[in-house]
Amino acid sequence: MYKNIYRYDEMKRKEHMAVRENVGWYLWTHQLVEVQGADATECLDLLFTKPICSIKIGKERYTTMLNEKAEIIDDVVVFRLEENHYWVSTLFATDLIRWMEAHKENRAVEYSNITSQYHMYAVQGPKALNMVNSIVDTPVDDLKFFSFANNSIDEMPVMINRAGFTGEKCGYEIYVSAEKADEMEKILKAAGEKLGAEEVTEFQVMAWTLPTEAGFYYMRDLRHTNPLEVGLDKGIDWEKKFIGCEALNKIKEEGPSREMVGFTVEEADIYIQSRHYGGPGEAVYVNGEEVGRVYKLVYGYVKDTNIGYIMANKDALKVGDHIMIHGYEAVITEKNFL
Amino acid sequence: MSSKIDSRVPKDSGAKSLDCFAAIQSPWNKLVGYQESMHWLSRYNSTFSAACMQALRILEPEYAERAQDMCTAVYQKLYYTMQKFGKYQMDQHNIHPFCRGSFVGALVGDSGDDALMMCGRVQDFGTYRAEKELDICDWDIVGSELCRATTQSLEGGSKSWSENLRPGTQLEYHMVEARGCGDCHCRIVAESRDKYPMPPHAQWECFGPIATADQIKDTKPEDMVEESMVFRGETGYTFANGTNMEDDSNSVANLMRRSSAAAGYIFPTLSYLLRMQKVDEKTVDHVFHCVCEAAGKAAFGERVAIQAVRDWMGVPNTINDGRVMGGYLEMYFQAMGLEYTIEAFNKDEVQYVVDRNNLTVYNEKMADAFVAYWYGMTKTLVNAQWFLWEIKEDTPADKLRIRIAKKIDKFC
Repeated sequence: MYKNIYRYDEMKRKEHMAVRENVGWYLWTHQLVEVQGADATECLDLLFTKPICSIKIGKERYTTMLNEKAEIIDDVVVFRLEENHYWVSTLFATDLIRWMEAHKENRAVEYSNITSQYHMYAVQGPKALNMVNSIVDTPVDDLKFFSFANNSIDEMPVMINRAGFTGEKCGYEIYVSAEKADEMEKILKAAGEKLGAEEVTEFQVMAWTLPTEAGFYYMRDLRHTNPLEVGLDKGIDWEKKFIGCEALNKIKEEGPSREMVGFTVEEADIYIQSRHYGGPGEAVYVNGEEVGRVYKLVYGYVKDTNIGYIMANKDALKVGDHIMIHGYEAVITEKNFL
Repeated sequence: MSSKIDSRVPKDSGAKSLDCFAAIQSPWNKLVGYQESMHWLSRYNSTFSAACMQALRILEPEYAERAQDMCTAVYQKLYYTMQKFGKYQMDQHNIHPFCRGSFVGALVGDSGDDALMMCGRVQDFGTYRAEKELDICDWDIVGSELCRATTQSLEGGSKSWSENLRPGTQLEYHMVEARGCGDCHCRIVAESRDKYPMPPHAQWECFGPIATADQIKDTKPEDMVEESMVFRGETGYTFANGTNMEDDSNSVANLMRRSSAAAGYIFPTLSYLLRMQKVDEKTVDHVFHCVCEAAGKAAFGERVAIQAVRDWMGVPNTINDGRVMGGYLEMYFQAMGLEYTIEAFNKDEVQYVVDRNNLTVYNEKMADAFVAYWYGMTKTLVNAQWFLWEIKEDTPADKLRIRIAKKIDKFC
C-alpha cells in the first residue's frame, strides 16, 4: 500500500511547521528581470493586468501576464526601484523576456536577466521579524507588506523585502549579492539557531505545501487558465489596455466556464494523480460526467489532511460537496487551508 | 532523373486531395502517419539495439563486469555532456534558481521518457526523493544491463546539472522495477542516502530494493497509459512537467533520432572498452558483424513477416528484388530524418548515399553494425541472391553509400 509521502515524513513536517509556528529560512532565489527606460512603465502596463504606473517607489505588486486569449503565461511580482527602474521577479525569465521583446515595439525600454547577480533568502513565520532584526544593521519593524528597503548585514549590502510565498503575515526576503551567498547562509544559520529556527530544505515544502495551504498558486497551476477562473482578477485595472484585455473582458461579460476550487481527502494513503507533477491530473466525475481535473494535491500539515485544488466546470462543485475521486472520498472546500 | 532510377509515381501525387503529408512515404506512395512511424522507429532502433547488446555480451561475458562498464561509460558520457549543454537544458526545463541538489535532474529523465514514447507519470518529485513510473518501454527487449545503465546516465546528468546551482543534496538513482525484467512498470526512484540510508553497493547494483519501498506509488493496470502526453487528447497533445516545461509531438522525432539504446548506451560502452583495451578492435568488428547479420536475417525469417512489411509499404506483387529492401531502408531514413540520395532504384540495383553521422549519432562502429544488420535483412526480405554492402571508394567520410544488388560470394 502506498504510504503518503508527506504525512509520515517528520522532516517535511518539521520544516513546514517551523514556518507556521516559529520561523523558517531558506534559499528562495527567483529569476529577476531588470526593466529600465523612459517607457518602462508604459511597457509594463501593457504587459501586466494590474496597474504598474500606480506602484510607489519602494513598493511592489503581484500581477499576472496574459496572452491574447487571456490565458495566464506568467505571474510575477513587479518591484519599483525608481521612477523608470523595475525588477520583475519571475520563475520564467526566458518566456518573460521573449514576451517583452515581442511587444515592446518602439518604446524606450531596456531589459536584462540579472538573476545570476543575486540570491534571495526567505525568512518566514511568526518570529521572522525577530530573526531579521537580529542580523540587519537597521531594524525593519516599520517595513510594510509588499515594501522593500536597502539595509546591510555585517557590512554586506542587502535589500529587505517584506513578502513571502507562505501565507505568513510576518515574512521577509533578503536579497544579497550572489557571491555573498555562503556568508549569508552562515549568518542565517547562526541567527536561526538562537531562535530555534529551521532551515527549510525540501522543495516540496517551500514550493507546494506551504503555498497551497495559503491558497497560493505555483505556476503550473495557472497554465492555460485565465485570472477569472483562478480568482486572480482582484486588482485588475479594467480601464487600461493590457495584452489579453479584450479576451478577458469578453470572458468577464459571459462569465468564466471554469473555476478553481479546493478539496480535502481525509484518508491518508491515497492514490490520486495530480497535474502539478505534469500530466493531465485525475479526472473528477459527478454523476458519471467529468466535471474537472485535479490540479494540485499535497498535504496540509496545519489541518493534517490531504489538500488540493480542482479545476472544475463552473458551479459543478460547491463547498461542502462530498465526491469520490478515484475511489477516495473528498470534500470540496475554499482554497485556503489555514 | 538518372537513367538508373525507374520512374516513380510523383511524391506529391494526390497532394491536392490531402491537407498535408505528416507521414513517411514508401517508394510506392504508401503513407505511414507521424505517430505510427515514430512507434515503428522506436521499436526498430530497440531491436537493433538488442542485437548490439548481444554482441556486447559476447565481448564481455561477465554480467557484473559488463553492467559496471556500461554504468561507468554512460555516467561519464552524460556528466560531461551536461557540463556542456546542461545550462541550456536547465533553462528549457525551467529549473528554478532556488532549487539545490541533483533532484532537478529527474526532470530531464521525465521529458526524455515522454519524447521516447516511454509513457508514464511522475509519482514523487522532491529534494530527497523522486519517483518515475513508466507503463511502456520500447527498450524492454534490449537487456537488463541497459536498465541499470539508464539510472547512471540520469545520475551523472543530474550531478552535472546540480553543479550549476547552490550546493545541495545528491540523490542515488535506482531502477526498482523494469518491464524488460518482467515487471508491470519501469520504476526509477532517486533517494538521498543522508535521509534514507542504505548499505553501500557497487555502481552497477543500482537495481532492486530501495529504502523507501513503502512510498512507492503503483499504478494499476487499468489506469496505465499507452501513449505519451504528446499523443493524448487529455493532455492537449502537449507534454507538460511540474515546472511548466511544455513540448509538442515534434519532441519525439527530435529525441528519437538522436537517442537509441545502441547510440546512447551500447556504442559508448564499446568505445570505453576499446579505450581501456579490454577488447580488441578485430574481435569487436567480427562479433558485431556476426551478431547483427544474424539478427537482420531473423527479422524476416518468416514468410508472414515478409508479407506484412510488403503490405505496410504497398509493394506491388510484381516486385521482388532489391527495391523491397531499398524501400524499407527509405522508410527508416525518413523516420530518422536522414538526408539521403537515391543513386539507383531499379530491378537490378538499388543504391543510396545517406548521412553517416546523423545515422550513427557519431558513434564509431555503428555504421558497420547497421550494414551487417541490413545485409542480413536483405537475405530474407528479398532472397539469398541479393546482397547489401557498403561502397567506400569515392564516398566522402561523412556519407555512407549502400548498394543492394545480386552477386555471388562463395565466402558469405
